[in-house]
Amino acid sequence: MSDTSSFDFNESGKNGKHTSKYQNAEPDDKNKNWLEGVFRRYYFYHYSQIELGELINEHEFGFRLFDGKIRRHLAFNDKKELYAYIIKFSPSDIFYSSSRYQNPKAEIDQKGWIGSDLIFDIDGKDLHLECAQSHNLVLCRDCSFISKGIIPKCAGCNSTRLQIIDMPCSRCIKSLTGEVKKLTEILKDDFGIVSESIFIYFSGNNGYHIHVVDKNFYGISAQKRSAFAQYLMGKGYLIENLGIRKNTDGVLTPMHNKVQYNQGWRRRIFDSMHLPIQNHRIDDKFVKKYVRMLDAKNNNTNDIISTNIFDLSAKIDPNVTMDIHRIFRLAGSINSKSGLIKAFCKDLDSFNPFVDACFVGGDSNVKIDSKLNIKISLKGKQFSLKPGANTIPEYVAAYVVCKGIGDIQ
Amino acid sequence: MCYVIKYNLVVRFGNKDLAKYPFLKEAFSYIVKYDFKLEDLDSRDYQHLIDKATKKIEQYLFFGKCEYQINYSKTHETIVQEEVIIFIISLLLIKSISIQAVTKKFALLESMRFEKYLISDLNTANQDDKTIKLILYKIFEDLFSTKILLEVDIYNFYKIRITDYLDHPIAFQEKEWNLVNRTLHNGFVYLDGTEIVRLFRNELYLLIIDRIQKMSIDRIPDTIMAISKSIKKRWEQMHPSINEPAYNVVTPPCIQHIYDQISKGENLPHPARLLLGTFLIYSNKTLEEMLDLFKRLPDFDEKITRYQLEHLAGKKGSSKRYYVPSCEKIKLENLCYETRICQGISNPIQLVRKKSDI
Ligand code: SF4
Ligand SMILES: [Zn+2]
Ligand SMILES: [Zn+2]
Repeated sequence: MSDTSSFDFNESGKNGKHTSKYQNAEPDDKNKNWLEGVFRRYYFYHYSQIELGELINEHEFGFRLFDGKIRRHLAFNDKKELYAYIIKFSPSDIFYSSSRYQNPKAEIDQKGWIGSDLIFDIDGKDLHLECAQSHNLVLCRDCSFISKGIIPKCAGCNSTRLQIIDMPCSRCIKSLTGEVKKLTEILKDDFGIVSESIFIYFSGNNGYHIHVVDKNFYGISAQKRSAFAQYLMGKGYLIENLGIRKNTDGVLTPMHNKVQYNQGWRRRIFDSMHLPIQNHRIDDKFVKKYVRMLDAKNNNTNDIISTNIFDLSAKIDPNVTMDIHRIFRLAGSINSKSGLIKAFCKDLDSFNPFVDACFVGGDSNVKIDSKLNIKISLKGKQFSLKPGANTIPEYVAAYVVCKGIGDIQ
Repeated sequence: MCYVIKYNLVVRFGNKDLAKYPFLKEAFSYIVKYDFKLEDLDSRDYQHLIDKATKKIEQYLFFGKCEYQINYSKTHETIVQEEVIIFIISLLLIKSISIQAVTKKFALLESMRFEKYLISDLNTANQDDKTIKLILYKIFEDLFSTKILLEVDIYNFYKIRITDYLDHPIAFQEKEWNLVNRTLHNGFVYLDGTEIVRLFRNELYLLIIDRIQKMSIDRIPDTIMAISKSIKKRWEQMHPSINEPAYNVVTPPCIQHIYDQISKGENLPHPARLLLGTFLIYSNKTLEEMLDLFKRLPDFDEKITRYQLEHLAGKKGSSKRYYVPSCEKIKLENLCYETRICQGISNPIQLVRKKSDI
C-alpha cells in the first residue's frame, strides 16, 4: 500500500494504518485545532501553490478532514470553488483523481472514465533501508511511549501494538532518488517516453510520485497498466529470455550463436553482469566471460541473475499504477503525516525535500512540548529538541506535531 | 510507410505465394475474375477439389492432424484459384455441418496450417524479399488492425507498438508472452518471425470462425450437402452429447461453465484446464472418464493430457498433488460464474461436500 498517495473507502477501517491521528480526538484537541489553523492559513495565503491542470471539473476530489471524516466523489466547476472549499474546511489531506471523468461525482462504475496519466509510486517503506531501522521511531499505542529505532516490543510496557513513525534522513532521500532514476531510465529506454513527459513529485513524506503525461498511454486500460507495472518490476522474468537455457544436467548454459535483439531487460541484465554482447549474438567472447564469471563466483547462476534483476527493477507499488480510479495527493497541498508539501521536483538532483517542500511562511515562533530528544533539519537549519518545552518556528512545529512526537502548548 | 505499400499490393501480388493465404481479398479476386459460381461445384470439373477439401476436413476432425499439401505442379493462376476454391468448399462443408465443436476444431487446425506457412515464409525471406513482407503487412494491418514494422538494420526483427501488442490476449495468457518477457525498446515490442505469427494465431483462428459464421447456408450445392451429412454422422457417433451429471449432485457454476465451453467445442485456457482437472480428480473420476471429457477439446492430444492429469493427481514427476484452487483464485483468473448457491463458500469443492452431507 502506498504511503501517501491515496486512500479509498475501505482504508479508514484498515488497522488504523491510514487513519487520521485525530479521528478519535476530542473536539478541543489542541494539536488538531492548531494544525487546522496552520493549514487554513497556508491555504488562505498560498492557494496559488496548489497545482491544477485545466478541466478541473472533470476530476474527482477527495478530502480527509481533521475530525477523521473522509469525503470522496466531489467535483468543482473551477479553481475558485475548490479554493473556497479548502479554506472553509481546512482538510488535513487533499486528494484528486488523475483520471478524468464525464461525471466525477458519480459512484465509481457510473463515472464515465475518460483517461488517466500513467502514475508510479515509490515509497521509502518499500525500500527496507538499513538507516530507516535506526532512525525511524516507534510509538506505543498503549502507553504512548516513543522509542528510537525499530523494535518488536515497547520498551515501556512490552506491548506489541506499535506504530512506526517515518523520520526519513538524507540517505533515505538519496536512495529514493536513485530508485526514481532507475524507473525513469526504463520508461525512456524501453517505453520510448520522452523526459519532457515525465513529472516527478516529492510525496510530502517519504516517497515520490512519477506522472507520465503522454497521449499514447492516456487511454490505456487497467489491465495494460498492470502489464507495465509487472514489466518495470521485472516480475516473472524468465531466464530463458537471455538465451540461457537449462541443459540436461540442469546447468544454465548460454545458447551459442543465438541471435536476440539486445535491448530491454536483456541488455540491462547483461550490462550489469558485464557480459558483452556484440551484434545481438551470443558469441565466443560472451561464453568465455560467462564461464569465467561462474568460476569466480561460487553462487549458482540463477541466484546471480535474480539478484541482478532485483537490483535493476523499479521498486514501484503496482497497485497504484493499475488502479485507474485512485485519488492522489494534490500537488502543492500539505501532507498531514509530515507537515511538508507534495512538491514538484524540477531538478531531481538538486531537490532537497527538507528545504524545498517546507511550506512558505510559518516563520514566527511557537512553543511545543517535545516527547523526546531529537534533531530536525528543515529549511537548511538544525533544530535540537529536548524533551519538554521548546521554542521553534511554526513550520518546524508543524512537522513535530504532524509526526506525533510533540504537542503544541 | 505502410500506406504506400498498401496501394501497391494488388498490383504486386499475382504469384503462387497467394495460394497459401486464400483468405486474403487479393486471393479471392482470382476466382471472381473467372466468374466462379457456387452452383458450379455440382459439376464434375470440381470433383478433385471437393475431394481434397473433404480429405483435409476428415483428417482435422477425426485424426486431429494436418497433412495437407498445396499442389504446385500447375500454373500460378491455377494454383491460386484452386486453393481459394478448396478454402471456400471447406467453409461450406463446415457451415453445413453446423456443429459448433466442429467449426472450432476446423478453425484451429486450419489456422495452424496458415501459421506454418507464414513462419516458413518469414524465416526464409531475406531482407529484399518484398513480396513476403507485403503479405505480412497486409495480413496484420487489414485483418488484425495492427501495424508491424521491420527493423531494417537488425536481422529479421519485427516491431509492434507496445499498446498494440497488449491488445492481443496472448500477452496476458501465457507467461513467456507477458510484457515482462518481451524485448522492449523505444516504445516497441520486438519479435522475430516465428513469434509474430504465433502472436496472431488466435486472431487467425477467430477470423476463420467469423468467415464461416458469415456464410449464407441457403445456396449450398447438393454435392457439398451430401458430404457434410456423412461427416456429421460420423462425428456424432464419436461424440455422443455429454452425459448430464447424476441427479442431485450440485455442479459448481464455474465447473458447469467449463462443461458448457467443452460442449461448444471451445478451446480452454490453461487455468481452466487446471481447475477442471483438479476438480475431476477431487470428485474421484477415473483417468478414462477424465480423458473422455478432455477428448472434446479441439487441440486434444491423448499422450500429453494423460501425462498432465497424472501429474495433477500427483502420480507423475513431482509427487506434489494439486488441489482445487480457491474461489478467490478462480475469480482472479476470470473463471468464476458465481450464483446464489455459492454463498459463503471459499472453494468449489464445498458445494460437492455440502450436497453429499445431506
Ligand atoms: S464462487 Fe466459487 S464455486 Fe461459485 S462459481 Fe465462483 S469460483 Fe465457482
Ligand atoms: Zn508501551
Ligand atoms: Zn534514512
